Amino acid sequence: MSISTSPRARSAAPALGYLAGIRTVFGLEIRQRIRNRGWYIMLGIWFVVVAAVVGLAALSVGEDGFGAGQVMFELVIAFVLFFGMLIAPALSANSITGDRANGTLAILQNTLLTPGQLLWGKWLASWVASLGFLVVTIPLIGWAMTYGDVYLPAAPVLLGMLAVELGIVCAIGVGVSALTNRTLFAVMVTYLLVALLGLGTLIAYGLSMQLVKTDVNVSNQVWPGTYTNGDYSGDWDENNYTCESWTYVQETFATERITWLLAANPFVVVADAAPRSPAPEDSSMFAEAGPMGAISEGVRYSQAGPEFQIPCLNGVKNTALPPTPAPLWPLGLGIQVLLAGGIVAAGRNRLRTPAGKLAAGTRIA
Amino acid sequence: METAVTGPGQAPGQRQDLGLGITATGLARSFGAVRAVENIDFHAAPGIVTALIGPNGSGKTTLLLMLASLLRPDAGSIRIQGIDPTADPRAVRAVLGWMPDTLGFWESLTSREILTTVAALYGIGKAQARVRAAELLEVVNLGELADTPARVLSRGQAQRLSLARALVNDPSVLLLDEPASGLDPGARVQLRTLVRQLADSGKTVVISSHVLVELDEIADAAVFLSRGKTVRSQSLAEAGAQSRGYTIASLDLEMLRVALAEANFEAAYRSNLENGGGSAKLKLTGEVQAAELLGRLAGAGVPVTAFAPTSGLLEETYLSLEDEMP
Repeated sequence: MSISTSPRARSAAPALGYLAGIRTVFGLEIRQRIRNRGWYIMLGIWFVVVAAVVGLAALSVGEDGFGAGQVMFELVIAFVLFFGMLIAPALSANSITGDRANGTLAILQNTLLTPGQLLWGKWLASWVASLGFLVVTIPLIGWAMTYGDVYLPAAPVLLGMLAVELGIVCAIGVGVSALTNRTLFAVMVTYLLVALLGLGTLIAYGLSMQLVKTDVNVSNQVWPGTYTNGDYSGDWDENNYTCESWTYVQETFATERITWLLAANPFVVVADAAPRSPAPEDSSMFAEAGPMGAISEGVRYSQAGPEFQIPCLNGVKNTALPPTPAPLWPLGLGIQVLLAGGIVAAGRNRLRTPAGKLAAGTRIA
Repeated sequence: METAVTGPGQAPGQRQDLGLGITATGLARSFGAVRAVENIDFHAAPGIVTALIGPNGSGKTTLLLMLASLLRPDAGSIRIQGIDPTADPRAVRAVLGWMPDTLGFWESLTSREILTTVAALYGIGKAQARVRAAELLEVVNLGELADTPARVLSRGQAQRLSLARALVNDPSVLLLDEPASGLDPGARVQLRTLVRQLADSGKTVVISSHVLVELDEIADAAVFLSRGKTVRSQSLAEAGAQSRGYTIASLDLEMLRVALAEANFEAAYRSNLENGGGSAKLKLTGEVQAAELLGRLAGAGVPVTAFAPTSGLLEETYLSLEDEMP
């Protein structure tokens, strides 16, 4: 029975490589997660729910046989993003508070592990765990692909950005977890921060409308008589109109000035980053777009502003197409990375030992 | 009972020149308005077991956390093997093993995985970690449970695993916070043997406990804490030299009374109701006097059935300290 290693083995000073430490924490976390039965049950429920929604979409959209694939694909993306926002905080925000409650955090801190390695490992593990939810939807994505109309250049971008967004939510969750003592509180704060991105941006955008109210002179559109006599069945050309000379003042919103408020919305980031399918040559066929396409469309419309939204501006027919706006997603992603990075950095400070200040009621072991 | 340590320089507070072991001076730490540790001087020398004794809330765990480089002292300095944990916590952790008072494990991992994971976090290579884990599981007698999840371990088994975990990096300084709580008598004996071996191999061992009888048997030196202050440091040899209470039981109380009176001992007597036997409680100045008295009683033909200290050595000091306290 030997309880001491030989002196020769000890002479090599123990050192823990930065990546080796991260890998060990990652392995530790992942092993615990995959041994948790609840995790599989959640994945199962998740698959059934997403499959049901996508199936219903296939039924309702796919009757004419065209466009269903793109809609289904985007639905899966939107769903994984939406529910990922709900699941990722739960997966990540307990990662450090849970260790605190179990008394295992101090054990990790008492090894050669640095706070940075701990956070990297925990973040990677919760990210991979939430990507699991994307992975189980692969059959559904495959199903959408079989329709053959999915715009392929956009698909990897949508999937990639989706993974990035999940990573950001996980980073927020892990950071908040390092900052707080109670799991419940950490999950709640993470939800609020995610809601700040998802809903807060929308609310801020909506409320800011009042600040960019402007008056413009508009006049009514006049359509050719054949269009309006009630039994017209030919093509409707959107640009085949004239403007009345009598103008009146209409209140409108200079949305191009506040669209940036939407930038940090995860849906906007994902949708805006994806390249858009080119307009079909046959103008009678319009490109079918799912929810992500619609978001992207809406954001660009908002970016364009009234100058391009009003058909009869100052009594003049206005068919100017909006210029391709600057992409919004780099700004959004930047804001998100700053937010998540700031929280994680604060959390790292909190994990430094020997600990200086402790919150009231904290036991560190 | 052989707890006395012979040789100079073994008493607490006399080995600071070497910089080995643990030296802490003037430690203070408060949590908000609560002053958990006010003024603690602490020294633990290599090769001996130092007991940390004090009532609940006296600052034992806070002190151990500061020594374990997890908590920053508000004032005072600490040197672990000559290294300052506030300045270089990682260097301290490399030579330190800490067994916390709360049992924390990754419940879905097996004992073996827990040990290999912790070994990996000390930078120990995979193959070596496996060997080390197997070794330690044998040492703490968890060989059979090596591959069951930690969740199913009993409290005593978890305690042993916790000890094994503290030993993973072969620390030269070992801090054990209440290591014996929850252990069955057999495991306590094993723990004692193990701790003894660890100390004998040159490690600095600090044990906190409030089961004083237990510490009597393991510890070579003791530091007493009360309300966040060091109230006394002594070696068990010193404790053995102090006067303490003894209880003598005899089949014939009357004979015992006469014999003690002849020898000029004041004692409090208590007779058994059902026969002529009974016991006497008295103070003796040390072990030498106790041995003499026992010989005398035996020589006088007093039927002595028990002759023992009323309480453990450390308990004696502990109680005398309580008397001194306001």
